[in-house]
Amino acid sequence: MTIGITHLLVVSAALFCVGVFGLLSRRNAIALLMSVELMFNGVNVALVGFARFGYSNLRPLSGMAFALFVITIAAAEVAVAVALLLVAYRRHQTVQADELDELRG
Amino acid sequence: MTQADILIYIAGALAVVSAAGVVMSSQPIYSALSLVGNMVSLAVLFLLLNAQFLAAVQVIVYAGAVMVLFVFIIALLSPGREDSPLRDRRALIGGAAIVYVTVQIFVLATNGTTYKKGLPTATCATIREAVPAYRLIQAGQPASCNPFPLHGNENAVPIAQANNSAAGLNGVLFFPDDVNRVGNVQVTGGQLFTTFVLPFEITSLLLLVAAVGAVYLTRRSPGRERAEQARASRRPPLPAPAGESLGPGVAASPKAPAATGEPESA
Repeated sequence: MTIGITHLLVVSAALFCVGVFGLLSRRNAIALLMSVELMFNGVNVALVGFARFGYSNLRPLSGMAFALFVITIAAAEVAVAVALLLVAYRRHQTVQADELDELRG
Repeated sequence: MTQADILIYIAGALAVVSAAGVVMSSQPIYSALSLVGNMVSLAVLFLLLNAQFLAAVQVIVYAGAVMVLFVFIIALLSPGREDSPLRDRRALIGGAAIVYVTVQIFVLATNGTTYKKGLPTATCATIREAVPAYRLIQAGQPASCNPFPLHGNENAVPIAQANNSAAGLNGVLFFPDDVNRVGNVQVTGGQLFTTFVLPFEITSLLLLVAAVGAVYLTRRSPGRERAEQARASRRPPLPAPAGESLGPGVAASPKAPAATGEPESA
């Protein structure tokens, strides 16, 4: 079966769902961040798929430009999140998300 | 089914399997390694989908910079092993339920959507006139106009509607062969600095803010350090928690200041 947009959308949805599952079921904050990265990657696969097979109303390759933006923003997000994790670890000596419950009333 | 198709299947399957490895492994460092595998297989996928520039960026930025950050933070914080969510019944059920809902939303959203393939056709020359990037193609070069080499529908060139504007940019398909002839990087870069120049600048600002924020968060300011020291001294010396060996140096810490202080005063 030749590759079409459907195949890529399936891969994209699978990656996104695995990311969602990890985000909901893991407790380690670092693993949560990695799950978010998985979700970003799923979206990127869809964007590249549409750039390749889709019908663009803007310009050719605009899907790729979008994917570039997604990668950039993911990098920025990781930088800030890692800094936050460092601060949290300094204060609480843990990065387990269920133990960081200072805001709980 | 061409060779490229088979490779796309393999790369996609590898990406999904390694993604499952990220979520399921109990050691964070194994998660990170699976994530590297995921990034690399996605880079291969992008290469096969004619997104060469993006494949390079994926390897450099994701597999390089972001993963270094992850491995660095894992090594620094050394979070212990955690039971895989497969063993945690509650996490498994809850996660699976929400994933099910997500899949249903995807199906609902894409149900009945048909992705256009057959559009009004035009000659190759019209398209090259319409898209500035294509004008860079040398006139003498034979250019295939086949937008879907993987599909094998030759010579049918879907393009803009009849009423496409003077710019002629509405509804132009992406022709991998033509874009490759111009250069993937050139076309993507040209887009970043023309169509998407405002988002591009905003993104650069965002990166700057992120860098400044990260530095500010992790900085140990003198005032904050004093506050932390005060808090630490107010707190009674903790008995070492079970299962966490702090090493011999920490156990002797109450005596340590006196021991170092004496030779100085003497």
